[in-house]
Amino acid sequence: LNSTDQAGASRSIQQTYDLTQYLEQQLRALAGTYLNYLGPPFNEPDFDPPRVIGAEAVPSATVDFELWHSLNDNARLAANYQAYSHLLCYLRAMDGATPVATPTLRHSLAHFRASLQGLLGSIAGVMSSLGYPLPPPVPAGIPTPHSHFLRKMDDFWLLKELQIWLWRSAKDFNRLRKRVPPASVMLRLDARDF
Amino acid sequence: RSPLSLFFASSDTHIQYARMGTDVTMQCGAMDWDASVTWTANGTDIDESHLNGSQLVLRNVDLTHSGQYFCYEGSSWHLKYQTTLKVGTPPKEPMLMCRSNNYPRGFYCSWHLPSPTYIPNAFNITVMHDSKEMVCEKDTPPKNRCHIRYLQLFSTKRYKVTLTVTNALGRSSYTITFDEFAIVKPDPPENVVAKPVPNNPRRLEVTWQNPSSWPDPDSFPLKFFLRYRPLIIDQWQHVSELRLPPPSGGGDGERSLCCTDRIRWAALDHRTGMDVVQSELWTSEPRSHIPTHQCTTTTSTSSFAAPPTTKICDQNVADG
Amino acid sequence: GLVQSCGYIIPESPVLTIGSSFTALCILNETCHDLGNIRADQIIWKIKNSIVPKEQYRVINTTVSSVTFNDTSILTSPLICNVLADGHIEQNIYGIAVTLGLPPEQPENLSCIVYQVENHAFEMKCSWNPGNHTFLETNFVLRYKWPTEKFPDCKPDRVNNSCSIKTPEFFVDLEVWVEAENILGKAVSEHIVFDPVDIVKPLPPRNLLVHSELSTVLKLAWDNSIEQTEIMHLKFNIRFRTSDSIDWQEIPLEDTASHRTSFTVQDLMPYTEYVFQVRCMKIDGKGYWSDWSKEKSGITAED
Repeated sequence: LNSTDQAGASRSIQQTYDLTQYLEQQLRALAGTYLNYLGPPFNEPDFDPPRVIGAEAVPSATVDFELWHSLNDNARLAANYQAYSHLLCYLRAMDGATPVATPTLRHSLAHFRASLQGLLGSIAGVMSSLGYPLPPPVPAGIPTPHSHFLRKMDDFWLLKELQIWLWRSAKDFNRLRKRVPPASVMLRLDARDF
Repeated sequence: RSPLSLFFASSDTHIQYARMGTDVTMQCGAMDWDASVTWTANGTDIDESHLNGSQLVLRNVDLTHSGQYFCYEGSSWHLKYQTTLKVGTPPKEPMLMCRSNNYPRGFYCSWHLPSPTYIPNAFNITVMHDSKEMVCEKDTPPKNRCHIRYLQLFSTKRYKVTLTVTNALGRSSYTITFDEFAIVKPDPPENVVAKPVPNNPRRLEVTWQNPSSWPDPDSFPLKFFLRYRPLIIDQWQHVSELRLPPPSGGGDGERSLCCTDRIRWAALDHRTGMDVVQSELWTSEPRSHIPTHQCTTTTSTSSFAAPPTTKICDQNVADG
Repeated sequence: GLVQSCGYIIPESPVLTIGSSFTALCILNETCHDLGNIRADQIIWKIKNSIVPKEQYRVINTTVSSVTFNDTSILTSPLICNVLADGHIEQNIYGIAVTLGLPPEQPENLSCIVYQVENHAFEMKCSWNPGNHTFLETNFVLRYKWPTEKFPDCKPDRVNNSCSIKTPEFFVDLEVWVEAENILGKAVSEHIVFDPVDIVKPLPPRNLLVHSELSTVLKLAWDNSIEQTEIMHLKFNIRFRTSDSIDWQEIPLEDTASHRTSFTVQDLMPYTEYVFQVRCMKIDGKGYWSDWSKEKSGITAED
């Protein structure tokens, strides 16, 4: 990357990082409102249900400690990209199920989804600015829950995973920020195995 | 209070435990009830009033009753019985706290009893995550602490820690569950130094460093809160969150702090009322999934024009 | 009337660019030509009621006469095609309405500001210079997109020089441009690219309070409309004056360059009433200063 490309990459990484934090903050408000809309037991602080079939398909942010530390930038970005392209499908399904009776909630959901769509685009932008190929989006056949309660369960786990993915992404992008400083010659870091 | 002491005899060191406030009766070995005996406590003869025949009866025992008891046959002074009495209480529900000050390496749990039991206690801690038990490496006693290494990161599964405390007089346990990131609390910053700024009497330069216990500030940057006050004012002035990336070369953190509030008259020396710069994990960790207070988004109910996106999802199912 | 509709003019109802040239044709029907013995050279062109100079006519053939205007600026409606029938009676063959106008100019000076309208609500208003009046119905539309996504157009409401977008998305560069179109043409403004978070005008600080601490010290405290953990950190600008003066003094900006909810002003005169105002903007200087807060006064203690 020449210095202008690198400045561009650095700025878009910073932007992506800020957007991740903004999404975390949006989701914190949204999750509270949505879970209160779902009602008990979903809005109880210690509610810790098992993950049933639908929720199993939601991409999990959980990762082995050593593996996460060993991921290079390309792998990190690709994991984020695939996760959010998958999570967005679930979010659309969730948005579609929210009754019109809660306009504020629908508006917040739509705003959050648009921001998340922006994040996906930003990650793609960062990957291309660093010369990384975009991973194929994961085909997301979203299982339709068999009952209203199971749909609520899926929504609960979706919101939780989203929260944790954003928490993980903030770490990933922060690492990246440090490795693509604003103005210095940048080497293809993954080739140097930093 | 039960009339009879509740005590537990330990076979090898012949220790007896008795619950505070109970009565304790000791048998003088195999001596008959009406045999003539002498009891001593810690080398001092015990008054006859405490005897019931050859038995020793201690009422409403307290800590002062703890000690070594000997029973001698009347005339021959042969030692017929010897025991150590320990008076104490069963353990109350222990205080258990888990914290990660070196996230994401791991976390530690520490515990203590709300009140002493005066007798030895045994602590047993189990850490469960995703239906698996995790190893908790104990610190050397008397530290009531053990350390757990994170095997996974960014888990939605909660951690469940159960502490059971047992002593001769009873047992008690306590369980906490928490999300991985909910217990993150870094140690304070280190080497906080406040120095005047040359040629600028209204400026003070504060530098500090990341807590050395924080393993990966690159991935998990800390944000800092600094508060200060002129010596003559009690109220702290609050310079809120400082997102300064540590400048190269300088301390891990540096804040050119104007002699804020246009202080001219307070002679600022090194003993400024500078409190420790608090540090908090950068990305405010997602608090409990459901915020205790409900945040209502006061957004005007305007129509929001979300981007009509190219659907990556599986069309029919997603729209179903 | 004597003469049926014996012909027509093409083009029917043209919209013409002011200043351009224009030619119309008056075409007589065959029947009228035969029966009424009307010929193209008998045609008289009129604008409204005034006759067009003959030099601008051209007889194409027995049934077609054309008229040409090199500069349509003088053209008004209607343009009429008459004929001087036998007995010198002028009869109307046909008339058309002529609309003059201009193609839209390139919209210029496109700029946007994100106004904070409530604590968690923002609205982005983009405005531009629409250019000269076109005298025609001209549609302006504000278009905006991300590199990977396009948003629905923003259609101005009863104006032609601004449009407002609800809930802009922050931290993603937005490409914005204006398109103007009328029947005579289309014009596209320059595209501008920015992150909406860098063009925010916050709401002013609220609930400003002034506490007296010492004879030369007053402490200000206020509430911010953008919390620190939200989209941006703020910096502040504080000004004050004595209540009997009109001259404001400002606290040096570097002293209030960090996110805060209070500030202690020192070095004041004892037992004097001061009036304060505070405003804020994004900490890195991108965006716009908020309006000043409401004034709040306070009196320093006696010495």
